[in-house]
Amino acid sequence: MRRVAVIGVGVTKFGLHDRTSAELFADAAGDALTDAGIPASAVQALYYGNVVGGETEHQLHTGPQAASVLGIPSVPTTRFETACASSHAAFRHAVMEIGAGVSDVILVGGAERVLNVSTAESTEYFAYASDAVWEQPLGLTFPGVFALIARAHMEKYGTTEAQMAAVAVKNHRHGALNPKAQFQKQITIDQVLRSAYVADPLKLLDCCPFSDGGAAVVLASEEVARRHRKPVWVLASAAASDWMLLGDKRDLARVPATERAAAAAYRQAGLGPTDVDVVELHDCFTIAEIVASEGLGLFEPGAGGRAAETGLTSLGGEMPVNPSGGLKAKGHPIGATGAAQIAEIVTQLRGEAGPRQVDGARTGLTHTLGGNTATVLVSLFGRD
Amino acid sequence: MTESLITARAFFERARAGQLTAVRCGSCGELAIPPKELCPACHARAWQPVPLVGEGTIASFTVIRVAPRAHAADAPYAIAVVKLQEGVSILGRIVDIPLDKVAVGLPVRFRPLGAQDQTSIGFGPLG
Repeated sequence: MRRVAVIGVGVTKFGLHDRTSAELFADAAGDALTDAGIPASAVQALYYGNVVGGETEHQLHTGPQAASVLGIPSVPTTRFETACASSHAAFRHAVMEIGAGVSDVILVGGAERVLNVSTAESTEYFAYASDAVWEQPLGLTFPGVFALIARAHMEKYGTTEAQMAAVAVKNHRHGALNPKAQFQKQITIDQVLRSAYVADPLKLLDCCPFSDGGAAVVLASEEVARRHRKPVWVLASAAASDWMLLGDKRDLARVPATERAAAAAYRQAGLGPTDVDVVELHDCFTIAEIVASEGLGLFEPGAGGRAAETGLTSLGGEMPVNPSGGLKAKGHPIGATGAAQIAEIVTQLRGEAGPRQVDGARTGLTHTLGGNTATVLVSLFGRD
Repeated sequence: MTESLITARAFFERARAGQLTAVRCGSCGELAIPPKELCPACHARAWQPVPLVGEGTIASFTVIRVAPRAHAADAPYAIAVVKLQEGVSILGRIVDIPLDKVAVGLPVRFRPLGAQDQTSIGFGPLG
């Protein structure tokens, strides 16, 4: 496989927008191409993530639609849908296409628009990523899925609601340093603990928001990347899946797909968790960050809650997690999230993250989880 | 031979009559619920239907307070992963147990829920 680099990144502000998802993507993609210093004519393919376009925008065929709105209608375009991991799955396939020598420059990105519909509608549409025969008819929601995981983690390891709250507080503290974040204000443990239950034991402030937004990255072969500023190398990109049904998962307190994808990524890169300087991981709910930090091997199983509570995962801590504010504070436009996490790690490794910079970061990791933990992508990045 | 059983429709027909049904692999003995086409343990395609007792304990649960539109009138309601006596687990709605009594380890018994054309899996008190 040839070496692959990220040479450009672009992200819109996350939050409420009066623009279509294709427009949001095109905005981010324009910024990514400018950042790469590469003409749009160099792009040979678009790999695109979008999840609920059919439901919230009555729009299918979102790949070529996004390419048309961007103004590059003739490149081969494919839309990926792996729930919240969609644009990270798109990224992995672009890495393989360049690695295999098929293309030299690929645009990867994603976008989502959900704030144009009611919370009740978006709650229903997000639940479509759980099983339509066995789970949706019971009234299962996405907070519900992670509430079942949270309860299992509390039972098995003694994780507390205060430890989960510490994740939210930390990510809001980071988000306050990110001008693109949906929430740029700090919150307290007390505010989290006193917020209303959405799906016990998860409360409103344990949950990431619904968000509109777009993100894009430009990938290039080594030969092309060497002609551009500060390439960030893709050291690994791995995917794993797991059972859809919660009842089929053997241990709800763990996410086997995270453990398998991480193991494959570390093997590809010849690295281990102790080599990683900065992590952007999938904190759709506070418990999701705790379980992911354990599954990635950053902490022992059961130690993720304490790690958040004692500041290990804060900026300035031993293992900074989600310097962008994470999904919790930065926001979670689901089709854009994977690409946005990659954009943050690239920014960190370039040393361009400003007040949220992890000092001296050389190796970064992104982790994106799809839906009910049935899809996980893990990628590793490094700089020269 | 097991053709009719491995469809969701056949499963829910039995469930509607009060019978929770799993499948056992005729090759390696693996038990599965709901049915799958291939045995996840040995990839054989030799299932036999197995009636389950329908009793188990709550492995994890949540109380849904913000519900999808179709379930809004039911909220708040409890959903649980129930570990059945035979060792397999399945998700179900908890009914006829006060929400503050729902707990990990609580014994429960299967009961079909819903109208004639839309059966879903429920669990109520054992007693």
